[in-house]
Amino acid sequence: MLDAVVLGTLKEIVGPNNFLTGKDDLLTYSYDGTSMWRHTPDVVVFPHTTEQVSLIVKLANTHKIPITPRGGGTGTSGGSIPIQGGIVLCMTRMNRIISIKKETLTAVVEAGVVLQDFNLALAKEGLFYPPDPQSAQACTIGGTVAENASGPYGVKYGVTKQYILGMEVVLANGDVAKLGGITIKNRMGYELGTLFTGSEGMLGIVTQVNVRLLPLPKSNKTILVVFADNETAGEAVSRIIGSGVIPAKIELVDNWTLNRIEELVHLGLPVSAEALLLIQCDGNPQAVEQEVQQVISVCLATGAKEAKAQTEAEAAVLWQARKASYGANYSASPTVLSEDVTVPRDRIAAMIKKTQDICKKYGFSVHLVGHAGDGNLHPAIATDINDKENFARAQKAVDEIISASLELNGVISGEHGIGLEKRQYIKMAMDPAALKMMKDLKHLLDPNNILNPGKFWED
Amino acid sequence: MKSLQENPYKELKRFQKDNELCMKCGFCMGACPTYREELMEGSVARGRNALAKALVKGEAKLTPELAEKLDKCTLCKSCTFVCPAHVDIPAVVIATRADEFRKMGLHFPYNIAYRSILPRRVLFGNIVKMAGWAQKLFFPKAEGTLRHLPNFIEGALHNKGRRIPQIAPKFLRQLVPVVNSPPSGTPTKFRVGYMTGCITDYVYPQIGLKVIKFLTRNGVEVIVPREQGCCGAPVYMGAGDFDTGRKMADVNVAAFKNVDYVIADCASCGSAMKDYEKFLADTPERKKDYEEFAKKVIHVTAFLVDVLKLPDSAYKAIPSAKGKTVTWHDPCHLVRHLEVRDQPRHILRAMKDIKFVEMNEADKCCGMAGGFSLHYYDLSSKIADRKGHNILDTKADIVVTGCPGCELQLLDTLARLGSKAQVMNIMELLE
Repeated sequence: MLDAVVLGTLKEIVGPNNFLTGKDDLLTYSYDGTSMWRHTPDVVVFPHTTEQVSLIVKLANTHKIPITPRGGGTGTSGGSIPIQGGIVLCMTRMNRIISIKKETLTAVVEAGVVLQDFNLALAKEGLFYPPDPQSAQACTIGGTVAENASGPYGVKYGVTKQYILGMEVVLANGDVAKLGGITIKNRMGYELGTLFTGSEGMLGIVTQVNVRLLPLPKSNKTILVVFADNETAGEAVSRIIGSGVIPAKIELVDNWTLNRIEELVHLGLPVSAEALLLIQCDGNPQAVEQEVQQVISVCLATGAKEAKAQTEAEAAVLWQARKASYGANYSASPTVLSEDVTVPRDRIAAMIKKTQDICKKYGFSVHLVGHAGDGNLHPAIATDINDKENFARAQKAVDEIISASLELNGVISGEHGIGLEKRQYIKMAMDPAALKMMKDLKHLLDPNNILNPGKFWED
Repeated sequence: MKSLQENPYKELKRFQKDNELCMKCGFCMGACPTYREELMEGSVARGRNALAKALVKGEAKLTPELAEKLDKCTLCKSCTFVCPAHVDIPAVVIATRADEFRKMGLHFPYNIAYRSILPRRVLFGNIVKMAGWAQKLFFPKAEGTLRHLPNFIEGALHNKGRRIPQIAPKFLRQLVPVVNSPPSGTPTKFRVGYMTGCITDYVYPQIGLKVIKFLTRNGVEVIVPREQGCCGAPVYMGAGDFDTGRKMADVNVAAFKNVDYVIADCASCGSAMKDYEKFLADTPERKKDYEEFAKKVIHVTAFLVDVLKLPDSAYKAIPSAKGKTVTWHDPCHLVRHLEVRDQPRHILRAMKDIKFVEMNEADKCCGMAGGFSLHYYDLSSKIADRKGHNILDTKADIVVTGCPGCELQLLDTLARLGSKAQVMNIMELLE
């Protein structure tokens, strides 16, 4: 429990309507998009200005109170769970879009702007902001920066860090720092903005972001490719990339997931397919047409059973289905261990094979979806944390999947982040010198360890 | 009382599958009208469901504070439609309200309105008449403004500057016979019962006259049973009073025997009647009766398009609407609860003498949601303002919809925004 004086001061800073201590309110801030982690905070505050954030952080630093920043609370690694209690700093009400400039292809937004709202505003100007985590309709820009988020567009357009020009950050002592700028090129000193991108709220609180934009592609086309097995689908991805074409999205959906989606949302999907690739090309209509033909012929040459360009209406259904894959996996069992392994793009088939073998070995069915185009796979193990034997077995399977990824020169997380979910693996996944540098940096910027403590590493 | 102690979450547990299926992805945040305004977890489907789950697990207690979070849901069902697993959180909310009601009951003055007055149609009618008289004394006459009747009584008690409805000088039931047959020479294709709903009956009888006129002209015999009562929506969905809801359901099931369909021009009435089985069936007999009844319930627009299959030429606009730009607002109870989306658009597109334009976010909640708009008037108005601006952007002369509840909210909102656009039931637009 927090000191009554501290609580009173917090209430004064943000005002009574932006301050929650009710038991039920706190319960609703004990979770995020993960299924395993929960912890209740002592208080939730909703700042409206950077100044308020600064005052809150300064107060927490003085009293050594943990602060967990939170946006939409849609993360899938437990990053926004207040695992040590204390303050949840919920940024959802700092949600102004400050400027959108077509002439410079840049925008300035507050951390709490919902990603989808931002893209709707941009679309009116014929612009877009590519990083597209599946939670776009609910996640905040601040959250995507903290997690260095990405999604299907990653293949062609990369991840959040490639769009960050600068930001405003509140440091652990309450100081406000402006990092980077608003120009496309900027060679002044260290890339401090990049340091905070992906820092999961452990180094500072991102309050405002300057981002780079792109013009909306003039057209796009979706190709549905059916395979007799997952491995061949993986092989096709490597060959598409190798053939010199970069589609906007290449998504893999396996047979189990396909059937589960159909069961939940009844879209009329080709449920007999063992594996699907959903590929989207975008750009100028002529170029799109050429790319589509090239992708289709590479897929067929790799052994696809069928590869066909889809009408707009068909494509809409397929992308809706892809979006539902998350729910399909997560709603299938009480606990889901959803992995986020990412391997170099010529090792996708190898990773798929290893995953299948491991699942079989431990008696789990294979549930495989992923942004195959950038080597990012989300194998999901359906288990139940209350069934000790099953859960222990599931964890062993995960351990092996993670080891397999590392053996293939991959990483343990491509886009979800470490948070709580992956912290037990960071030691085996990172170079000890790099891990030490991270800890030193953390200590330098947050000596009292108040900013999102308990994440990244277990000690 | 004993059953309450033994099983405090009897109703909620019936929807445990939905309650547990939510995987907390948070996609509902983008769609939930209350979350979009309040931006906090207690005001979104995911949060409400988490609280309901905590109740069942014994991690939270059913206090007035917790109950308020569940009461603050408009039941618009937008969450279910963006949910990757199509989880029916509104059903969880309604069931929790029922358990809330069993534990805490209703507080004054809603208890009188819901429990004693609504189930008694004659008494209700007299009170409405009295209210109509009181209205002349206490409230400025607001032209063309009306109010959802069960809430009207509340509204009269603590009105926050909201426009109060004019009560019709004569109710629909006083204006039409029980049996309305097609004109001579027109063969009878169907015999339907007409659930008039409170607002059409007491405030907007002209909607009802039009429904009857249009249907009979097209070969439908329309029965207006005098025994019909309130659909029960504000009572069992809104307040969670399942016992009184059951009484109302039984009255309506009995009133609409021997008809092919039960027609509603009010989406809320239609969806409340369709859902008797889902929420109120406590015995095998009721389950069977309610299931049979639900099969007959249909919104008037779906009846015209899907059952009567009228040719496009049957849809003509009233003379005063000719040449006007018209937009459509999807009532939540119509588009998501009854899943009627295309039929009203089909009718509007078929009307050659108007210009139909879609508004942005046509299927987003208007924030009325029965008692919600009175208990939480400020929040309701914020939700409504988004809708209002979307209507203004279309530059439409007329906004039509399929639920008198929404009509009230749209009237209030457009007046507040200083718009001159007319609000109509789609049936009123038909010649």
